[in-house]
Amino acid sequence: MLEAVNLYRTFTSDGVDYEVLKNVNLKINQGECVAIIGKSGSGKSTLMHLLACLDTPTLGRIMFEEQDVSILSEKERNLLRNEKFGFVFQQFFLNGRETVLENVLFPLRIRGMSQYKMIRAGMDALEAVDLKAKEDKKAKDLSGGEKQRVCIARALVGIPKVIFADEPTGNLDSNTGELIEKMLFDLNREKGITLIIVTHDSDLAKKCNRIIELKDGEIIKDKIKKGKKFEEAQKVDELTKTDSGQTSETSITS
Amino acid sequence: MKLRDLLRIANRNLLRNKLRTFLTIMAIFVGAFTLVMTNALGDGMKDYVENQVKNREGANILFVRKKFETPNSGRKADEPIEYKEKTQDEAGNVVDPNSYSLDITQMESLKKDLPEIKTITPRFDIDGEYITLDGIKKYKLNLGMLSEGIKQKVEVGSTITGTGEIIIPLALGKTFSPDIKTLIGKDVTIAYEVGQSGEIKMMQLKIAGVATKGFMANGNCFVDADSAKRIYEDQHRNSDGFNKFWNFTFQLDTSNDKRIGEIKRKLDEKGFSAETFADQEKRTYDAIGILQIGLNFFAFIALLAASFGIINTLIVAVMERTKEIGLQKALGMGSEKIFLLFTLESILIGFWGAIVGVIGGIIVGTFANILTTAYLSSFEGYSLFSFRLFSIVWVILLVCVIAFLAGVLPAFKASRLNPIEALRYE
Repeated sequence: MLEAVNLYRTFTSDGVDYEVLKNVNLKINQGECVAIIGKSGSGKSTLMHLLACLDTPTLGRIMFEEQDVSILSEKERNLLRNEKFGFVFQQFFLNGRETVLENVLFPLRIRGMSQYKMIRAGMDALEAVDLKAKEDKKAKDLSGGEKQRVCIARALVGIPKVIFADEPTGNLDSNTGELIEKMLFDLNREKGITLIIVTHDSDLAKKCNRIIELKDGEIIKDKIKKGKKFEEAQKVDELTKTDSGQTSETSITS
Repeated sequence: MKLRDLLRIANRNLLRNKLRTFLTIMAIFVGAFTLVMTNALGDGMKDYVENQVKNREGANILFVRKKFETPNSGRKADEPIEYKEKTQDEAGNVVDPNSYSLDITQMESLKKDLPEIKTITPRFDIDGEYITLDGIKKYKLNLGMLSEGIKQKVEVGSTITGTGEIIIPLALGKTFSPDIKTLIGKDVTIAYEVGQSGEIKMMQLKIAGVATKGFMANGNCFVDADSAKRIYEDQHRNSDGFNKFWNFTFQLDTSNDKRIGEIKRKLDEKGFSAETFADQEKRTYDAIGILQIGLNFFAFIALLAASFGIINTLIVAVMERTKEIGLQKALGMGSEKIFLLFTLESILIGFWGAIVGVIGGIIVGTFANILTTAYLSSFEGYSLFSFRLFSIVWVILLVCVIAFLAGVLPAFKASRLNPIEALRYE
């Protein structure tokens, strides 16, 4: 469903080029739960930004649902992010002065949905993260775990195909972190939402079904969980050579 | 995103730092307030002029005098004027090209070339002593004349239509009789001095009407041109410039603007300046308009200074809200919506500043009007400040436009933010 083809991303700073991503090939299927790991500077965040259409590749293509998204206009990419993607960030990025519900509704306000439909969707999303009782609390009055749950509700409210989570438990203590993890995995399992987690927490990564490890802008490991153990995934280079019927082997049905 | 939602968000953003928003609005308030006041001052003058002139009308009237040689007619201001020899016209009258006063017969000769001229009335300079209705109670008389063709608006009765008629002011009419209707058609006696001898002469006149209030008609009685001529002759027969006049009133047989324009052009060629009521009004309005523009210029400078306040406030807001803008963009809010959000915030600042300025201006202006009534009592019907809806709407719109322009730079900065950079921003 989400595919990176010969992806390069170069940043220029003070006239010097930094190759942050080098020839990354990747294919993520519907319903997968993928962890992108790597040390800081490995390019994992950049890869996520590219996959999430927040950034454009220097070279190569990003395919989402069989469509090359790197050629879309800014408007179309905005629409794509708004309708198909959800985001959960380490730093929450909530508007503390607004109510919990208003924070959750924000993506739908951008979409311009009718008030009635919007509030129903918002309440559903809050119910999914067990925060329905706090809908009219100000976001700044919540605990860290609650804030991250509001973020999940905000990511969820537009009924996305993919949720991108950038260090979702990075600012939380381990107990609260686990609760958030469980919530994200449940969404993946029960609603079939593709989950892409960027993290350097190997414990969290191991709970995912697939681990992609980056080093110096290149994928060095791509492992898929088979039962309890991880196995090396089929190389994407090989995947592209085979026909689409065979690629389904890599999809996870755990 | 719906405009309503954007407006709501813009409003909430402004309320985040209430003091800062308040102070920025205050800066705009000062500019808007000044603009409202300067406009109201000009409008007050315009109202006054309107009150002055609205009581007199005549679409077919031209006020004619000999053209003054003004510096812009080719002569330098300090250049000596050449003396021109006196000549005689066909009728044997002496024509003095150095003088601005003219003989009535000289003017009458214009009719040959300009058949549209129906009547020519010189402005007779007349003085009254007193007026009395019953012959016992006398009132001091300010005497004027109504040239042929000019209509004076009246409360009761009509304007002057024949010879031996007079129009009296409203206050005098009410003194004569509480029911002014009964005065119409009654005879009054006016008295005037003959020459410098101190001899008093009387004249019986019929009241044609009681004038509507207005600048000219507040204290003056007006008589018809023939009566004025008789008084003039009695008073000036022995004086130097007898039967020489500076100003004349022409009554035309047309009130068509185009034809009047043509007549004005012909008179201009012959060395006369001619003005209609509308020209006179326009001249005054233009003078007030220039004054108003001058005053508004200062108000505009105040607004310009205030707009830098808006720019400053919003640039700080963009920096403070960098992460928030990053998130908004990440969640799919387009750059144009971010731009719109910030310009809406600046327009809102301008709008509230303008509203407060208008309210403040009206309050201060109304008080000023009350306080100055005593000083301005000789100018009846004159308020120092006049608030016209058009001017007020104009001020609000102008301030909003200036505020919008001030918001463009910060809004552009905000809209250009890269969502990734913005989310990473510390």
